[in-house]
Amino acid sequence: MAPPPGGLVVAFDSDPRSLDPRFQTDANGARLGDLLHVALTRADPTGRRVPELARSWTMEDRRTVVFHLRPDFRFADGTAVTAADVKATYDAVRDPALASPKRTALAALSVIDTPDATTVVMHLTDASASFLDATGLGILPAARAREADDVTTGAGPFRLVSVVRGDRLVLAPNPYYPDGPPRLDPLVIRIVPDETVRVLELRRGGIHLLEDAPEPEMVTWLAAAPTLVVRRAPGTSFVYLALNLRDPRLADRRVREAIALAVDRDGLVRYVLGGAARPATGLLAPEHWAYAPAPARRHDPRRARRLLARAGYPSRGRGTPRFRLVYKTSAQPLRRRLAEAVQADLANVGIAVDVRVYEWGTLYADVRSGNFEMASLAWVGVTDPDLYYLAFHSTMVPPAGYNRGAYVSRVTDRLTSAGRRTFDPLERRTIYARVQRRLAHDVPIVPLWWEDRIAVHTRRLRGFEPSPSGDLRSLATARLD
Amino acid sequence: MGTLPGRRLVLLLPTVLGVVTLVFAFLHLLPGDPVEIMLGDWAAPADAVALRRDLGLDRPLAAQYVRFVGHAARGDFGQSIAFRAPVARVIADRYPATVELAIAALLLAVGGAVPLGVLAAVWRGRALDRIVRLASLAGVCLPSFWLGPVLMFAFAMRLDWLPVSGRGGLAHLVLPAATLALGMGGILVRLTRASVLAALGEDYVRTARAKGAPRWRAVGVHALRNALVPVVTVLGLQAGALLAGAVITETIFAWPGIGRLVVQAIQARDYPLVQGCVLVIGVTYVAINTAADVLVRAIDPRLAEPA
Repeated sequence: MAPPPGGLVVAFDSDPRSLDPRFQTDANGARLGDLLHVALTRADPTGRRVPELARSWTMEDRRTVVFHLRPDFRFADGTAVTAADVKATYDAVRDPALASPKRTALAALSVIDTPDATTVVMHLTDASASFLDATGLGILPAARAREADDVTTGAGPFRLVSVVRGDRLVLAPNPYYPDGPPRLDPLVIRIVPDETVRVLELRRGGIHLLEDAPEPEMVTWLAAAPTLVVRRAPGTSFVYLALNLRDPRLADRRVREAIALAVDRDGLVRYVLGGAARPATGLLAPEHWAYAPAPARRHDPRRARRLLARAGYPSRGRGTPRFRLVYKTSAQPLRRRLAEAVQADLANVGIAVDVRVYEWGTLYADVRSGNFEMASLAWVGVTDPDLYYLAFHSTMVPPAGYNRGAYVSRVTDRLTSAGRRTFDPLERRTIYARVQRRLAHDVPIVPLWWEDRIAVHTRRLRGFEPSPSGDLRSLATARLD
Repeated sequence: MGTLPGRRLVLLLPTVLGVVTLVFAFLHLLPGDPVEIMLGDWAAPADAVALRRDLGLDRPLAAQYVRFVGHAARGDFGQSIAFRAPVARVIADRYPATVELAIAALLLAVGGAVPLGVLAAVWRGRALDRIVRLASLAGVCLPSFWLGPVLMFAFAMRLDWLPVSGRGGLAHLVLPAATLALGMGGILVRLTRASVLAALGEDYVRTARAKGAPRWRAVGVHALRNALVPVVTVLGLQAGALLAGAVITETIFAWPGIGRLVVQAIQARDYPLVQGCVLVIGVTYVAINTAADVLVRAIDPRLAEPA
């Protein structure tokens, strides 16, 4: 179908599961949710919370946050967004009867007061420095906040016009958007599952913007098209090798460090990703406010071999590995190529790797249950550094949290606990710098890279800026010449 | 004993129940938890417990099965876990696209394969026969994951005659339908050719010719009618497979059909949706094959069972 005149067609690889902020958990749902709804705050590219519906906020004390709302936001049906809508949305999410997956993120919230239409006072049960991270929840009209079905009415720059599941979603500008209604009308999201077809459609003009990075060789082909422009931005998605420290071999720090030294990250970035990433030193990308440079672990197979020998795994001669590890990965082509490259790197230091490819649901279940030795995983959308607590504190082994490798360190426990109770940004930054140094020393995971965001779009699209997290917010101010 | 459609309808119930039971059992044997997949990394265990309870997934497997079958008998397939919408509505949204594609592919395949098969049989050993046999072999051999992109590249990218992908007007149907039809057509051409050849050697065709029937009549009426019996039977099986979802073709051409939906549902461990899809596919399969059996008996009344 030819793109509508004046309209922009964006390709997604799959349907967003839900466009309702109370239930949305997938990446595509979040990207569209950003366009349909406004939240009290949102994260900027450095991970800091910045105003959106709330023009400002103050901490009255360690357990009370007061938000002052902008009075000019209106839902797509024309009604003003008030403190009552904020309270109703948050209360609905906290209601166990609604079974919202966002409920636990608001566990620290006790009571919400609304002294007037533009003031929201949130009382917390406990001092929580990461609470602001939960204020990215999209606001719904109070009258609809408790509906069991999906509600898509929001006050974002766009409104939802129609959905044909598996095929397309059509959005139009919200005429009441206070910063001026978007000029893209309509905004069509087409669901095109096959990557090659997305690329062909883009080249032919059937779609205008592809925000999910295609394979490196396809980017090269697209870059040669005179009608298209390839945009790169540093991304925050962090790809790493998860190691299961329950395994006695991987419980030894020397073995983990040897693996980290054996993996040629620069080579991976250059050859597996076509240069579309930065070798990573840890979870937080350099743009993040809490990032602290950790000592880079350069590719050093000789030292890796020495460490392995010292750990009790001497060389057993050519062709005989020191030991074998099972590497689990998803079936995504890039992840499979990564697995093969890591397999070759580790073979070079005498570690034999058996690569097992699984469909995502199976891989995820295995990782959650600790049924793995080594696996390639990623963190997407990291904003608050409290993730260090959830991912590395010793009490956060699944199902409690995301410490999937069962890493235990008293120092990390103490630091990550302090980080979530500290409100002063400078003090928090110091704490998380120490956490990052500690993790770089302990190597509970092997950091691989921060993926670049690569967007390819028609030259006619003006004002679109690829964001580090992959959100599409800049479409609110973009236009099609 | 009742009519054939009546008997098939009676058989439909245990068939579909058996399929649904097997799917239910195997789905629950798969590793992976729909709630964990749905909530992703950012939800806490308490949410998972609450959602599992809400979806009825905390009950014993037998209770879940009985509940599903009981509700399905009343036409209620439950709520899709991934899409947060009634399963019936999710399937109803996607099924028309699959039916549209299947009908187009069938028309293309039958419209091309039967005449070509007859001509190849009539001119056995001649150039046309050789070409048709070679082409049909290629049609059967070429996988849709290769054929689809090649057709797309040739007719959409190079020649700019047709759209690349998506569902829209008639032009959007051509490439996915042709991709499906070429494979199915290859089988039908070869089957038609072999059946017509066999029929041409039968006494009744010779008798017809001896009584002065023109060649076209002997072939087109006498031989073809009998030759169509195996063709229609195979067509029924093929059509059922098409309606069950041509997953690869639907994925390549971004066609919003039920094949892609089933894959999505399995990946998300969306048990109610997978079960609903299987039920619909099972019923469709049996219905189409019942129709094919009725047609076969209409073509050749000798095949009807004695009352």
